[in-house]
Amino acid sequence: MRHAVTAAWVVFLFSIPLWMTDLYILHILISAGIFTIAAISLNLLLGYTGQLSLGHVAFFGIGAYTSALVSLGFDLELTDSYTFVFAPWPVWIAFIAGIAAAGLFGWLIGKIAFKVRGAYFVIVTISFAEVVRLISLNWVDLTEGPMALNNIPPFGVAIPGLWEQTFYQKLPNYYLILVVAIVCYIVVRRLVRSRAGRAMIGLRENEALASSVGVDVTRYLVLATVISAAMAGAAGGLYTHYIRIVDPDIFLFIYTVTMVIMVVTGGKGTTAGPVVGGLLFGILPEVLREFASPEVQWVIYGVFMIAVVFFLPQGIVPAVTSWWKARFAAPEGGLGTPEGAR
Amino acid sequence: MTDTALSVEGLTVHFGGLVAVSDVDFVVREGEIASLIGPNGAGKTTAFNVITGFLQASAGSVRYRGASLDGLRPNDVADLGVVRTFQKTSLFSGLSVIDNMLIGLHRRGRGRVWEILLALPRIKAEERDLRMQAAAILEQVGLSHRGGELASDLPYGEQRLLEVAIALAARPSLLLLDEPASGMNPSETQDFMNRVSAIRDQGTTIFLVEHDMRVVMGISDRVIVLNQGIILAEGTPEEIRRHPEVIRAYLGGAAADA
Ligand SMILES: Nc1ncnc2c1ncn2[C@@H]1O[C@H](COP(=O)(O)OP(=O)(O)O)[C@@H](O)[C@H]1O
Ligand SMILES: [Mg+2]
Repeated sequence: MRHAVTAAWVVFLFSIPLWMTDLYILHILISAGIFTIAAISLNLLLGYTGQLSLGHVAFFGIGAYTSALVSLGFDLELTDSYTFVFAPWPVWIAFIAGIAAAGLFGWLIGKIAFKVRGAYFVIVTISFAEVVRLISLNWVDLTEGPMALNNIPPFGVAIPGLWEQTFYQKLPNYYLILVVAIVCYIVVRRLVRSRAGRAMIGLRENEALASSVGVDVTRYLVLATVISAAMAGAAGGLYTHYIRIVDPDIFLFIYTVTMVIMVVTGGKGTTAGPVVGGLLFGILPEVLREFASPEVQWVIYGVFMIAVVFFLPQGIVPAVTSWWKARFAAPEGGLGTPEGAR
Repeated sequence: MTDTALSVEGLTVHFGGLVAVSDVDFVVREGEIASLIGPNGAGKTTAFNVITGFLQASAGSVRYRGASLDGLRPNDVADLGVVRTFQKTSLFSGLSVIDNMLIGLHRRGRGRVWEILLALPRIKAEERDLRMQAAAILEQVGLSHRGGELASDLPYGEQRLLEVAIALAARPSLLLLDEPASGMNPSETQDFMNRVSAIRDQGTTIFLVEHDMRVVMGISDRVIVLNQGIILAEGTPEEIRRHPEVIRAYLGGAAADA
């Protein structure tokens, strides 16, 4: 049953470009997909370890900038007589480099934050994002600052000498993002249903108790931060080679807030939550734009968000799940009730 | 059976100007049930916190089976086989009983992150095995029927049992219980103490904190009495019952009835 629903979803998502030929809508779906990946990554930290990273966009931006710079190449005048020249690399390698760089910074934040929890973790992450934004703005030699990095090459695939396709169009980008999103979803799902994920949940639920039974909470917090940051970096890389321009505005706080909204409304600590929230809040603003003036859009957006949080404080996915269980599930059957076991 | 398992030497803990524990020495021997008793504020929980790595001692040292526990983190202490429960009920209350147990079983899992991400068959086998172990421990403490329920939905007495079950899941060789029966009625307490005896009989050394002397008299091999951070007396329950210092300092008439 579960597998059938999942399979139906995947088939549906893969089929969209076949019957949906409106490129604008495809663009909306691509952006929503990128945000969904970011939300999936944030959920690992916020939903499972219980730590709120309010600087999550930093990892996204680091992935975007690293991938852009490695694929474009750059040179740095280190001294008057010496200029460091970095030659361009293929986009896929740049993408991997972006993921690695974001993961590395995730490790750093995890280490710095190893003793801070709750509000202090929030402060560390916000400060980190702000520092990274200021660097991107002011290290003009590297990042071009507010002038932005332009003409970033898109992804592409090739069979050397025979055939190649560069992803200028929306269609291949759509599929690429869908595949990456599915990979991220599976990574989180496998993780949180394992002993590693349970260690993270233990940290969220009762850190003292978890450590008393031998869970090295610091280690699993760092692990969650690294994986989460790397996935956000992947989302950033996808963004940068799709939009093909990146400037310091990528680090704006509003993007982190958007990710948090997606996770919280969809249902933090559930694997499907950030997907539902990501698609909903990725698509909703664009749909509203069609019908309403900007002020009205924001009012509707805000009211909708407050309504979800107010009426479904656990988020949409947990609410639907428990409604479904109450409505259709057989009465608690003692041994082997599937949900208890999962 | 008289080998020393845990030894505490010169343990002193200051909280600002307050001396919670003052130059305390004691041992817990392999295979026994030792009890640490004393009135509220005597320093029992503080001693537990130092032993299990939750608190840094101001002075003194703690050793378990020859290894120093000084400066270790709680999870390192657990890795050496020393696991504790908490005075205030402490569960993963938002999770099911089974999931509580699975976190408790963390040390028994071996799966590494890359194996988990690749969903290797041995990870699946391990998951099945862990669930069976969880069920077995729940059976042992009499909570089999509660597996699917939310921990916070259990009645109080069963929550306290679940705490012990979680600690057992970490496979301790020394189990420290901090007032595990507080808040239970006399018959629940008796039942609980029988289970503690059974755990010891299966080879786990028990170090029990209680403030009610009568509760521990029946099952303890040895009793250590702490009062205002100082050890007042130490001996068999019989000796403690007759110890003039103990009677005078805090037991009063209670010892005579017990
Ligand atoms: N974290 C702390 N900070 C300050 N004082 C503390 C702290 N923990 C315990 N105390 C004090 O230390 C003394 C011993 O407390 P505790 O070990 O909890 O006693 P018991 O467990 O025997 O009832 C008490 O006076 C208590 O108020
Ligand atoms: Mg106490």
